[in-house]
Amino acid sequence: MSGAASMPTEEIVRFLDDLRAAEAAAAEVLMAWIAVCALDGLRGGLRAIAEREASHAELLAERLRELGAPSNARLDPPVRAAALTRFGSPVVPDEEKLGLLLTRYPDDAAATRAISGVLERLDEDLETRELLRLVAEGESATLAWLRAYHAGLAVRRAPSAARR
Amino acid sequence: MRRENGGRERARVIGLLDAFQAAERAGADAVGRWIDACEDPRLRGGLRVIRARDRAHAALAEARLRALGGVPAARVGRDLAALCGVVADPRVSDRTKLATLLARLPDGGDAPLADLVRGVDDDAETRALLESIGDDERASLRWLAAMRDQLDRRGT
Repeated sequence: MSGAASMPTEEIVRFLDDLRAAEAAAAEVLMAWIAVCALDGLRGGLRAIAEREASHAELLAERLRELGAPSNARLDPPVRAAALTRFGSPVVPDEEKLGLLLTRYPDDAAATRAISGVLERLDEDLETRELLRLVAEGESATLAWLRAYHAGLAVRRAPSAARR
Repeated sequence: MRRENGGRERARVIGLLDAFQAAERAGADAVGRWIDACEDPRLRGGLRVIRARDRAHAALAEARLRALGGVPAARVGRDLAALCGVVADPRVSDRTKLATLLARLPDGGDAPLADLVRGVDDDAETRALLESIGDDERASLRWLAAMRDQLDRRGT
C-alpha cells in the first residue's frame, strides 16, 4: 500500500497532455539537431532518441483519446523557437549542445522525477501507470546514453589537448 | 582492395539491419495481437510501449539500411516466426507468453542486440543507433521479467 491518494482523472489527463507536448517538442528539436549534427556516432544515437521521444508522444496522445480527452497542450512558443534555433544551429558545436542538455538534468533521475512522482498515485489506472513506467525508463536511457557519449568526447579530446 | 573490403562490410551491415528490421516488425505485429487479447491492464500498458518501440526500431533500421544503399527484403526465420505465433495466440495465457519470451532471450540484461552491435566496427552512426535501440530492448526485458514475477506470485 502506497498511502498516496489516487490521482483524479482530470489531473491524469493534464499530466499526460503536458508530457505529450514536451515529448513531441523534444522529438522536433532533436530532428533539427540531427540535420546539422557533424558527429556520426552522436547522430546515430540521436536518431534512436528522437524516435523514442516521438513514439512516447504518440502513445500518450493515444491514451488521451482513450480517456476521452483531447491533446491540447503546447510548449510555450518562444521556448520551442529558442530550442529549435539553438539545437538546429550548424555553428553551435555538438559538444556545447550536449553540455546544455545535460546541465538541465544533473542526474538520470532528474528526467523521470515528474513521472515517478505520479506512478504510485495511478493505482486506479494501471494501464496508464505501466505505460508511464516504461516511458520513464526510456527517458533514463536517453540521458544515460547522452552522458556516456559526452564523457567519451571529453576523453577523446583529452589526449590531443595534452599533446599541445 | 580497401574499397572492396568497405563494400563487403557495408553489405554485411545492410544484411544485419535488414534481418533486424524484419524481426522487429514481426515482433510488433505479434505484440499487437497479444494486446488485443490481453485482459490485464498493467500488462497491456507496458506492451503498448514495447509495440511502439518495436515499430520505431524497424523504421529506424529500415531508414539506415536505405541510407546505406540497401533495400529491405528479409523475412523472419522459422524460430522467430514460431515464437511470434505463441505471443500472438489468444488461447495461450499471459504467464506462458512471458515465460516463453523470456526463456528465449539472454539473461543478465544483455540485449539480444549486443552481438549485432559488436559486429558493426566501421560505421559509427549505425553502431550508435543500435546501441541506443539496445537500451530500449534492455528496458523492455526488465519490465517483462518484473511482470512475469508479479503474475507468478499471484498465480494468475
